Amino acid sequence: MARVLENVGKNLLKENGVPTPEFIVAETSEDARRAAEKIGCPVVIKALVTAGKRGKAGAVKFARNPDEAAKTAAEILAMTVYNFPVKRVLVERKLDISQELYVSIIYDPVKMGPVIIASTAGGIDIEEIAAARPEKILKYHVNMLTGFNLYEAKEIWSDQGLKGSVLQKATTLLWRLHQLFVKYDCTVIEINPLALTADAGLIAAAILMGVDDDALYRQAYFSNKVEAGSDRAWRPLTVLEKKMIEVDKTEAYRGTARYTEMEGGNIGFFCGGGGGSLLSYDALLRFGGKPANYTEFGGNPPEAKVKGLVKGVLSKPGVKGFYMNLNITNNTQTDIVAKGIIGAFQDLNIDPEKFPAVLRLAGVHDAEARRLCTEAGLEYHGDDITMEDTARIIVEKMRKAFPEETD
Amino acid sequence: MAILVDKNSKIVIQGITGREASMVTQHALAYGTKIMAGVTPGKEGRNVEGVPVFDTLKRACKEFEINTSVVYVPPAFAYDAVMEAIGNGIALIIIMTERIPQQDAVRFLSAAKQNNCTIIGPNSVGVITPADKVKLGAIGGDNAERCFVSGSVGIISRSGGMTAECAWMVKQAGFGVTTCVSIGGDAFIGSPPKKILSMFEDDPITKTVVMWGEPGTRYEEDVAEFVNNKGFTKPLIAYIAGRFVEEMPEGTVFGHAASIIEGDSGKPSIKMAALKDAGCHVAENFNDIIPILQNTMA
Repeated sequence: MARVLENVGKNLLKENGVPTPEFIVAETSEDARRAAEKIGCPVVIKALVTAGKRGKAGAVKFARNPDEAAKTAAEILAMTVYNFPVKRVLVERKLDISQELYVSIIYDPVKMGPVIIASTAGGIDIEEIAAARPEKILKYHVNMLTGFNLYEAKEIWSDQGLKGSVLQKATTLLWRLHQLFVKYDCTVIEINPLALTADAGLIAAAILMGVDDDALYRQAYFSNKVEAGSDRAWRPLTVLEKKMIEVDKTEAYRGTARYTEMEGGNIGFFCGGGGGSLLSYDALLRFGGKPANYTEFGGNPPEAKVKGLVKGVLSKPGVKGFYMNLNITNNTQTDIVAKGIIGAFQDLNIDPEKFPAVLRLAGVHDAEARRLCTEAGLEYHGDDITMEDTARIIVEKMRKAFPEETD
Repeated sequence: MAILVDKNSKIVIQGITGREASMVTQHALAYGTKIMAGVTPGKEGRNVEGVPVFDTLKRACKEFEINTSVVYVPPAFAYDAVMEAIGNGIALIIIMTERIPQQDAVRFLSAAKQNNCTIIGPNSVGVITPADKVKLGAIGGDNAERCFVSGSVGIISRSGGMTAECAWMVKQAGFGVTTCVSIGGDAFIGSPPKKILSMFEDDPITKTVVMWGEPGTRYEEDVAEFVNNKGFTKPLIAYIAGRFVEEMPEGTVFGHAASIIEGDSGKPSIKMAALKDAGCHVAENFNDIIPILQNTMA
């Protein structure tokens, strides 16, 4: 999923007929002051980061006048919200809210279709309410074959007790939200709160939106506005992680890789595929190994891509060993993978005699892979051992080579 | 006997002229699998390894009796290809394509359900029944016998690559497999493990099932419930990978919707506990699959 920043999401809502509060994006406290003057106080200042639950993190604050807006913006700009340093804030008109509603659309993995969640008890405690008073939360599964009709939106809000002009407004808003969910290949849209104002307006005060990574090719609206895979990150990408994304993009349709940096560690981790990497990492920890990173690759990557990835894995400071573990391949050419790895060792002038390394590389063309690795002085295994055995071997090698790093 | 595919499978490959599909066709034919036809728009009249190519599935179905389709069409066209298969009354559709937009997947899965059509995948590596020499998809590559030998163990795997590795472990233990199913690595798939287990329950040859599980989804929790309710009564050996994921910093919270719908299902430790409670054999280490199999099959 690619997370959509609030300003992008709100512009999208506005363009699709869903009312939102007026806002300006500010990068400095002076910008925030001018924005507050232009919009008119009181205003809300919000950290513009791709994390939810900002209110609970103290990254949403009110300001009564432009001076206060500047001061508050400076405070929020100095914050780091759930590991994300705040670089911009949203300065937004403060609404006169009489009631907070909640509405979201997400794919339900059990029913395998979109589900609409609606409640007249919105706000930051919605999850607690969902747990303690489930009757306050309505879940409605959309039939993918018949689509979502206006009357269904009306039934949802009517069942939640809305009446009169508010019911009408909420009905249209929810229907448009679903249209938007479909049109933009969203994986989640959440409006919380959906603000009912003192003058009976219904305004999307905050939005969270995620877009399907695999649909970005047909969603030109989001090009350069979102980062694919940003839902997996618990912090901004590191320099090396960004570099590895670039390596992965070369010959994009041949072999894919995902690289994540771990804190500390001394073993360079280059495994495949998705499931095999999970097993390899579990096994490494169980035997007492300390992985420095996590790379999973799959498909049938060309030699240059493997080489680029392995160089990245080995270049992380503190990496003193190399662990390559792969399930018996169906179509990945193991000789090509071996060539890429050997090339990376050569480019970095790593002497395999002094650098603990283990490769388990069985499958297509593995006789050639064995020959290449053996010639290059790398410890090679095919299907003579199990995947877990490979993990034990590298941990033992690391213990022997660096006894001082063993706990 | 086996499940899903056997010697009565009448197979078509949609997107047969693509690079990977042609290679897979060659490997399947060499293994002994019979493939009736292929479909690629605009390429009717050609053949791939002797398999005739048609512009439409409709024309292929007119020439041959077909009951199984393998979809190798690129992501942007996969939705239409699957709808074409459903529209032509194909009973079993195995989708290899990776990275199909979620919305498209959910749509064709709904349509398949309404038309009583079984879908394996998307993002499957294939299905193989060694006794009948039938393999669909890349599964087993050009050397299927290395991992897949005929026997009485069924395999269900959420990981494509680990389907072969699981079968190899079965072989190391001294046994073979009935049918191995790579169910697909995506969040939205046609046949979750529970559905495949009910097929293995009805298959007289399958004595035991090995299941590869991973973090996320409710699949393994559903299997535990299914076993508790006597939906599956044979020995089930499960390995759940990715336990380290629980120790990682969680991806920054993003809204409440997912948590309201999913709660805390998806954690490997919860899946393992649920399966153990249901009386399944949960392998702590992947290597343990070998002795557990030897004990249960004895």
